[in-house]
Amino acid sequence: MVILGLIFKEIRHRKINFMLGSLAVTMAVALFISFFTAAKASNRETARLMLSMGFNLHIISKDTDMNEFLLTGLPDQTMPEQYLQKLAHQSEISYNHLLATLQKKINWRGLDVILTGLAPEVCPPGRKKPPMSYQIERGNLYVGYRVAKTLGLKETEVVQVEGKTLKVAKCLSESGGVDDIRIQCHLRDAQDILNLPGRISEIRAVDCLCFAPTDDPVSILRKEIGPLLPEAQVFHTKAIASARAKTRQMVRNLFAVIVPFVVIACGVWIGILAVMNVRDRQPEIGIMRALGYGSGRITLLFLGKAVIIGLLGATIGYVVGTALALNFGPDIFKITAKTMIKPESSLLACSLVLAPLFAALASFVPAMIAVTYDPAVTLREE
Amino acid sequence: MICLENVVKTYRTRRGDVKALNDINLRIEKGEFVVIRGPSGSGKTTLLMTIAAMLHPTSGIVSVEQNNLYGMSIQARAKFRAENIGFVFQMFHLVPYLNVVENVLLAGGTVTNKNKNAKALELIEQFGLAGRSYHKPAELSAGEKQRTAIARAVFNRPKIILADEPTGNLDADNAASVLGYLSEFHKAGGTVILATHGVEAERFADRTINLRNGSVANLDKP
Ligand SMILES: Nc1ncnc2c1ncn2[C@@H]1O[C@H](COP(=O)(O)OP(=O)(O)OP(=O)(O)O)[C@@H](O)[C@H]1O
Ligand SMILES: [Mg+2]
Repeated sequence: MVILGLIFKEIRHRKINFMLGSLAVTMAVALFISFFTAAKASNRETARLMLSMGFNLHIISKDTDMNEFLLTGLPDQTMPEQYLQKLAHQSEISYNHLLATLQKKINWRGLDVILTGLAPEVCPPGRKKPPMSYQIERGNLYVGYRVAKTLGLKETEVVQVEGKTLKVAKCLSESGGVDDIRIQCHLRDAQDILNLPGRISEIRAVDCLCFAPTDDPVSILRKEIGPLLPEAQVFHTKAIASARAKTRQMVRNLFAVIVPFVVIACGVWIGILAVMNVRDRQPEIGIMRALGYGSGRITLLFLGKAVIIGLLGATIGYVVGTALALNFGPDIFKITAKTMIKPESSLLACSLVLAPLFAALASFVPAMIAVTYDPAVTLREE
Repeated sequence: MICLENVVKTYRTRRGDVKALNDINLRIEKGEFVVIRGPSGSGKTTLLMTIAAMLHPTSGIVSVEQNNLYGMSIQARAKFRAENIGFVFQMFHLVPYLNVVENVLLAGGTVTNKNKNAKALELIEQFGLAGRSYHKPAELSAGEKQRTAIARAVFNRPKIILADEPTGNLDADNAASVLGYLSEFHKAGGTVILATHGVEAERFADRTINLRNGSVANLDKP
């Protein structure tokens, strides 16, 4: 009680000192919060950005003519549609975003196009992710840029594809790739058109092996998928996969270094301030000791102030750091800001524990040392 | 009774050892008023701090009422100081963020206590500080600061008051009043040990101890 009274009286007397101390902790905590948030968001954002490079895993029938497939990108054989469900029901796997397609080159209205049927994208259990591909409803047709331009198609127009009536739901913008000569519809509609019920030609996926400690991720995938789908073979688009893996690793490693560094730097900063505060108050320690106050109570006097500054700084710092993140985050992380940048109570709890702890630890040592000296020695240090 | 046996204090510094007290043997009886005189650097402060249980001697024994001061634990020594010894320093050593009453109360192990508060205010009035009770040290004159320090020193009714140049920073009037208060404490049965290089205190003293280069030069005056 005496000690608490003394702490508040000292704080009120040396307001500037207290404010500067709290300000420093505030800045340290704000820095910590904004860096931590940035680290999490950029990991996520990078993962999302890298996804836009497309699927990097192709599962096709074992009997496919490889020469033909590599030449055209179209497998000439099909496999059972159940393969998709089989893959999707694995929980211990290293891939995600499963997309089953049925594709075939056809001549439509005098134009060579690739008819592509898309199944709704599925994810393995417990890994629900926003879809990367179009989710096309039955009866709808998405028309590639070149096809729409050449044939003069408009949205909402109703067309016939090999006898099936479909509505042009979307004319896609130019992709600069093979998508420009695709006409895409629901898997079922494509199966009807091609008369291949229950068949698919390819499953595409994105591997999750960015952080696997291996140079040969495709062998892991083959080991996982091989026994499951005996009639299939697995291909990995190496350029996409490794660019994706390397970028994600780079971002993660960068923050794996920066975040602990920032935490330690902030801790040291708070610590130095606490040590200086104790050093400045040596004479006071001498007086209290001369008056017979024990080392416990004197140490408490300094720990108490350190904890108060720590708690106050952590609270304000959390608010400031979160405000900074909310303000600048969406400009930097355009895709994931909405889900990743938000007030995190776990960070508040973390700051409320760490800041006072650093401050208290840093005060504790010099206070304990000061208390072990003879009071006459401490009093002389003016 | 305060008893020093073969007390030596050597300060160890990087530029070599400084022998501040050189084999001091001394007895001070209960209720005595002793002045320790000597030129600057002769070891007065060192001697006083050693007696005050605030500075370990390098060797030798200091005891107060049969208690070996440096044979006890740090905590026990702190308690002993709180209960038996009051201090007055040349530099006052008041706590800057506490007002006069709180500085006095601090000696009683509190800053807010109804009973003790009344007692502190009474003391403050005795020392002519009634109008200054709620002022901080920075707002006080040197004389007022020293009177606050004396009020703090006597607050716990200690048996001994140790005063190191208590009048060193004061004008003649204030110096006289400070000495007057110490003399009153002495007349009420307290032991006073006062270090000074001046002579004003000697008329109150039972005895003067002359210190020269860390040694007792003579024990003059009855
Ligand atoms: N902490 C210290 N380290 C080294 N030497 C010290 C220390 N304190 C005091 N001394 C030396 O010890 C000797 C005695 O010092 P002390 O302060 O006891 O003298 P004093 O008689 O009180 O002097 P003054 O009248 O100037 O206050 C001096 O030579 C001083 O330089
Ligand atoms: Mg001195």
